[in-house]
Amino acid sequence: MLAEFGTDAQILAGGTDVMLELRKPTARSPKALVDISRIPGLKGVEESGDSIVIRPLTTHTEILRSDVVATYAPLLRAAVSTIGSPQVRNRGTVGGNVMNAAACADTVPPLIALNAEIKLKSSSGERIMALMDFFVKPYVTAARRDEILIEIRFPKLPVNARSSFIRLGRRKALSIARLSVAAILQKDESGVVTDARIVPGAAFPKWQRVPEAERLLIGLKPSRELFAEAGRRVSDVMISFTGRRWSTEYKVPVIAALVRRALEACT
Amino acid sequence: MKRVTIKATINHRKYELEVRPNLTLLDLLREELGLTGTKRGCEIGECGACTVLMNGQAVNSCLVLAPQIDGEEILTVEGLADGHKLHPLQESFLDHDAVHCGFCTPGSLMSAKELLDRNPNPSEEEIRMAISGNLCRCTGYQQIVEAIKETRGK
Repeated sequence: MLAEFGTDAQILAGGTDVMLELRKPTARSPKALVDISRIPGLKGVEESGDSIVIRPLTTHTEILRSDVVATYAPLLRAAVSTIGSPQVRNRGTVGGNVMNAAACADTVPPLIALNAEIKLKSSSGERIMALMDFFVKPYVTAARRDEILIEIRFPKLPVNARSSFIRLGRRKALSIARLSVAAILQKDESGVVTDARIVPGAAFPKWQRVPEAERLLIGLKPSRELFAEAGRRVSDVMISFTGRRWSTEYKVPVIAALVRRALEACT
Repeated sequence: MKRVTIKATINHRKYELEVRPNLTLLDLLREELGLTGTKRGCEIGECGACTVLMNGQAVNSCLVLAPQIDGEEILTVEGLADGHKLHPLQESFLDHDAVHCGFCTPGSLMSAKELLDRNPNPSEEEIRMAISGNLCRCTGYQQIVEAIKETRGK
């Protein structure tokens, strides 16, 4: 159907984004709404060797209650716990969150920090790509119109890794993230950082890790000053992408503080 | 637009319905079945006034399309009472003055029902989390929280 209707088709999963889009007076009504929500085999979380596989129709509520996610990807659990409301989490899906590609999508920073790969499928075949390479800009991805997401896969976090997700919204429930940070830290026995991953949400034109800040941490012992410096590096990188805007005065100290807090939450 | 036939259980009763494929569950309930207990609020999944249970899970009926309930079980506020006997949650909402203007009440009741079905003894925090998708502009939520607390284990 997707191949037949092309841009006139819209995929529907949990409906928590698409149903809103269709209501807008400016909406370009699709000729076909393709409800994939009951395709068997596209739902659930499972372990696969050293990896975790999340099928796209898994709802946020199911992620929240998954022991596998709680054990091997606790930052993803933290991220879905504040999406929308219970009603939205009961319907909204991880795959929909990724494919809708809103700048504020809460599952994306954790998934990129986890080095997730996605599998896309169309009638002409399948392809796998790194999630980080999937996004072009907000609401635009590398997926073709005839492709659907069928799998999200990432390596389990090592047992000595700590992770966190912090978001800032205007209120606790039913708010979209103004800014967020996903972080993962790994230390050796002496307490020295061996791996650091920092992915801000809603801060950059597209999601990415911040190697300038991550490199700073490697080989050193965590301290408040070190984490604060990493936060400043992230805000420098943000300005290098976005330039100075009306919101910059607010975002610079806030993103720096969120990065510091996210890293502190990993110790 | 070609209508589609769906079969669903709504408030313990089996229905076979012919619906427009772009009809929302909210409109099906209110406009076609006359079940106006479920309220129309924001229609963008933010206020929770249209909350119903779909297979026991709270959902915003404004975000569900009628064809998507084919084969599923829907419970609305009209299905809570047992004949003329109110559901314990409804009794408790009345006892605790949790009903002011009443517009959020059906949705709040359904969110509370999902919580108590899943977890008969929730903490206050869990109660507040469960109703976090139901906006109430009258009570400041305190009476609703008290009402749900009182129903724990009943």
